[in-house]
Amino acid sequence: MNLWKHFSIALIVAVFLAGGTAHADLLETFAGQSGKIDIAGGTAHIPVMTEAAKRIMTVNPDIRINVEGGGTGVGVQKAGEGLVEIGNTGRALSEDEIAKYGLVSFAFAVDGVTVVLNPANGVKDLSAAQVQDIFAGKITNWKDVGGADAAITLYSRDEASGTREVFWGKMLKKGAIADNANIVASNGAMKVAVAQDANAIGYMSIGFVDDSVKAPTLEGVEPSQDNAKSGAYKVARKLYMNTKGEPQGLTRMFIDYVTSPECADIIAKAGYIPLK
Amino acid sequence: MSPAPSAPTSSPRPATSRSNSMHRSPVCRRNSSRFCRQLFFDRVARILCCGAGFISLGTLAAIFVFLLVLAMPLFLEGQWEQILSMTWRPYQGHYGILPMLAGSLALSVSAFAVAYPLGLGICLFACGPGPGLLRRGVISVITFMTAIPTVVYGFVAVFLLVPLLNSAVTGRSGPSLMAACLTLALLILPTIVLFLYETMRETEKRTRLTSASLGFSPVQALLLVVLPGSATGLRNAAIMGYCRALSDTLIPLMLAGNAPQLPSSLFDSVRTLTAHIALVVATDNSSPAFHSLFACGLALFGMSFAIQIMIRKKNHPARPLKGIWLDLLAFLAGNRFCLTVVHAWTTAACATLLIAIGGLVIFLLRQSLPVFGTRLFFGDTPVLAAITGRAPVWDGIFAACAGTAALVVLASLMAIPVGIGAGIALSQYLHGRLGRALRFSANILAGVPSIVMGLFGFSLIIFLRHTIAPQANTGLLLSAFCLALLILPYTINATAQALETLPQELRLLGPSLGMTGLQSLRRILLPAASRGILGGVVLSMGRAAEDTAVILLTGVVAQGGLPRGLLDKFEALPFTIYYLAAQYQSADDLRKGFGAALTLLALTVLLYGGARMLRSSLESKWTK
Repeated sequence: MNLWKHFSIALIVAVFLAGGTAHADLLETFAGQSGKIDIAGGTAHIPVMTEAAKRIMTVNPDIRINVEGGGTGVGVQKAGEGLVEIGNTGRALSEDEIAKYGLVSFAFAVDGVTVVLNPANGVKDLSAAQVQDIFAGKITNWKDVGGADAAITLYSRDEASGTREVFWGKMLKKGAIADNANIVASNGAMKVAVAQDANAIGYMSIGFVDDSVKAPTLEGVEPSQDNAKSGAYKVARKLYMNTKGEPQGLTRMFIDYVTSPECADIIAKAGYIPLK
Repeated sequence: MSPAPSAPTSSPRPATSRSNSMHRSPVCRRNSSRFCRQLFFDRVARILCCGAGFISLGTLAAIFVFLLVLAMPLFLEGQWEQILSMTWRPYQGHYGILPMLAGSLALSVSAFAVAYPLGLGICLFACGPGPGLLRRGVISVITFMTAIPTVVYGFVAVFLLVPLLNSAVTGRSGPSLMAACLTLALLILPTIVLFLYETMRETEKRTRLTSASLGFSPVQALLLVVLPGSATGLRNAAIMGYCRALSDTLIPLMLAGNAPQLPSSLFDSVRTLTAHIALVVATDNSSPAFHSLFACGLALFGMSFAIQIMIRKKNHPARPLKGIWLDLLAFLAGNRFCLTVVHAWTTAACATLLIAIGGLVIFLLRQSLPVFGTRLFFGDTPVLAAITGRAPVWDGIFAACAGTAALVVLASLMAIPVGIGAGIALSQYLHGRLGRALRFSANILAGVPSIVMGLFGFSLIIFLRHTIAPQANTGLLLSAFCLALLILPYTINATAQALETLPQELRLLGPSLGMTGLQSLRRILLPAASRGILGGVVLSMGRAAEDTAVILLTGVVAQGGLPRGLLDKFEALPFTIYYLAAQYQSADDLRKGFGAALTLLALTVLLYGGARMLRSSLESKWTK
């Protein structure tokens, strides 16, 4: 038992060190608590949720936090039906959704949605009209937008995706998305799919962009989180956690923790801009 | 046995016998009450077994009713025509499922068209005049393939086959019908080959003397006698193989691209009904999109039902091929050039098989062996603390292994007693029309696609939440329950078959000694059939360990830790593999995926190997 105590102290110390300057006041409030939180929905949220859960569960192994994806639609549905405590969405809830389920939203980060290409693709800039035509299936070859002579492979998200709704509304102006687009189920899967396919075009959360994919500039504007926050890059949204009614107990503490400055480093590390 | 006083229910003697008992010795009375007790036990066992027999029928009815009820709003609100349209754009109010139906047909037909000739070639080779070692080797490879989990095929195909296809075909890239078709063909190949091979071997044994006395060469005998004589095998192999191709979820989900469109070429992206259910199930429970899924479920259910009826209807005792097929075979056998072609084809089929499976195994081993170690399972957590559940494991697959183990144990606990009971009922108690109906229902249940079983579980939870248990949620218990339903028919069939193949003398032994049915079953028949039954049990555990489609819909999560209760969400190996294939975020993640794939493969190979050994030792025991 003594050994175990030492070990958990060592772990807590390690977390403190990893957290850097962030003081872990809120994290301490989890000590002595027990129970579980089920989280589902937006896939852009997963890195933040998992990391926050990891820190909490390391401090207190009696708390169980399950993190599932599924997409924004799943977050709304599952939180609304009471299947999970927290349903994440990558967009603001609609009037209908709030009225139907009585959901309460908590925003914690700003995130842009960007077009992504395979790094081997020579195309560096796309105009909004070009992107719209590509996704509508009107432009089908990369040579028409200044790339190599190869058929464009479209990648899109399923209908439950909040990223899809934001991209569709703000970038495609609610225009058509061709039926022959491959469908992937999450931001993470989009990155993998585009990274593996030299002719791919897709769209995803800026937070997920890394070396394995390339985000072209849009009308000359670089899709970065700073530009998304300043408003220079228009295709942006906030990331929300939602609960059915006002959150209570452990769920409340989790939400307080994620929306506090203490979690800012997690959010920043996941590639988003924290609101606090 | 203790001479306890007999329970009131076990002494149904009429008044006359009571007056007689006054003259009996105490020993005699004790024996009489013991006999009554035995009769009572026998009756109870019979009732329990028959009750278990009806569970498969009940489940089948429940699945059908659930699908129908949840698809019903479409009928009532007149959206039926919308469902039967060619466009799936739920955000614009189009809910057509026809593209998915076409996708399912295109994929299953094309995979079948690849696999069947390949399978036939392999069977001809395995029964042909080639070197015995090679022939046995090919069949062992095929047997090994039955143990490879679907998700492992999918995982390796994503990282081996898709890049190969991308580089082979210029101007086209990404997932496609072609990639899914080739992988699926490999998946259904063992089903086709094993069904056909069994029949051909039987026919060959039966007709060996005839062929020899007619002076046929081995190849002629194969083409003119064995193949035409195995018509039942040819047909059943085709139907079972096709059924497997139609009902698979994971391969199309991982490899076919999932675009809801009519495919116009082999390199198009398609979405099958099964993948469609998996993709769309988490949607608003009152939307037409949600209800349309149950129409998809009904379509799949209907197709597997029709296929089972087809098998049943046409299964006359072995009727040989005739007409044009026989003429064709005669032409092939008579023409030297054609014989060369046949020979080349069988060799090529075997070579393809060996290259594909060899490539798969070598690729998997090369990628996963370097990472295979405690780090893969436990990450940086100390092993002891992880196993005892005191410290959570973050970067290892330990929780997934534990989840899979819990699933297999729970599902087996639920399915195996019921399955064995039902198997006993089918072989011992229920005969005639009722027995046939129950047997038929077990076969249909075996053909129900696993995604439909998952959909059933999911709708069960919705039903429970809206009626008696508002707190009901998906989780370990639900997944195990659905998996139990999935493996139930395997256990039933294995038990019934093991009991029915026992020698007649054994079955007469009990009654001739004056045993009751239960005594004979317990003391003679079950011990004699135990290995066969156990083989079936282990086989169904392997099936429970590898299935992904069911748990996908009933409560598996990517990050959950050790399950602490029956209602908890859980991690599972097949899902971890599927999840990492689609969205690994680092090279570490990817290696973890390969490690998990090898772990799952090792687990299923172990289970299947055990099942085969048990079964073959039973066979050798009775055929001596």
